[in-house]
Amino acid sequence: MIIKRRKKSSMGLNLTSMIDVVFLLLIYFMVATEFKIAEESFPMDLPAPKNGQSHMLDNEPLVIHVDSSGEGPHDLRIQLEGPWGKIENTRALTKFLRMSKIDEFHVTGYFLQTHPVLVTPTENARWEHALAVYNAAALAQYTNITLAEPVTKLDVLQ
Amino acid sequence: MEWRGKPSSSINANLTPMIDVTFLLIVFFVVVSQIVDRDAVSMDLPSPENAAASVAEMQERVVVNIVPSDGGAVQRVVVGRHEISIDSLDELTAIVKTRLQGGASEVYLRADRATRYMVIHKAIEAIRKVGTTPRLQLVIDGDNE
Repeated sequence: MIIKRRKKSSMGLNLTSMIDVVFLLLIYFMVATEFKIAEESFPMDLPAPKNGQSHMLDNEPLVIHVDSSGEGPHDLRIQLEGPWGKIENTRALTKFLRMSKIDEFHVTGYFLQTHPVLVTPTENARWEHALAVYNAAALAQYTNITLAEPVTKLDVLQ
Repeated sequence: MEWRGKPSSSINANLTPMIDVTFLLIVFFVVVSQIVDRDAVSMDLPSPENAAASVAEMQERVVVNIVPSDGGAVQRVVVGRHEISIDSLDELTAIVKTRLQGGASEVYLRADRATRYMVIHKAIEAIRKVGTTPRLQLVIDGDNE
């Protein structure tokens, strides 16, 4: 007598091949995708050193001093060199710079888009405040913005 | 009566799919390591409101990291695998010069938002001393919207 036992049917899913294909797809998309970097940057042209002098600019630049009055992003003080009045914050600075720029909308402006803008933070100014002022000038679409040598707080801002 | 003995069961691991998956994992980690930007040191970058900055491009570049310390001071400057003391920035000039001669076109400056400008300016001056008027990119946090 031949006794044949019925084989138990196994309905198992073959995971190996599935993992195989899933990984292949993952790698394909990772290689094919261009990842967006979560960082942005402001371009700044560095003038070449000339006889040890720091910055030699052709035009009389618009000088903007900035100092930190606290640790918050808005805790900064701005002062323009010259007869330009008081500037309260970076928004007011952008507005002033926009209004002072000569273009098709403001023919009575004072500065060309290429006019040198010199941001001079104090020695102890926070980097974020220096860049906030730099950004204000960039927002007003000035193209010749430079970070200059720091000034001591007492010399410029009272 | 015909009797069939139990077939000798051989427990062998099937190596083929294991090798398959292992190789895939290797490829996966190699790809990931290429994507991760090893030049960037973790720090709290400035994030100005309505930033008029542009997205940093993935090109041959020199990334200068000014690693912060407490109270707006600086621990050290990191460029790739080089770690430079803030008091010996001539070394920074030399490294940036070498990298620019090696094909890099721009210098990216990364500094913490709380770092004092006085120190950052020293680094900018050191980069400026390279002499080939490189374009400096001041890096900010792009996730500020």
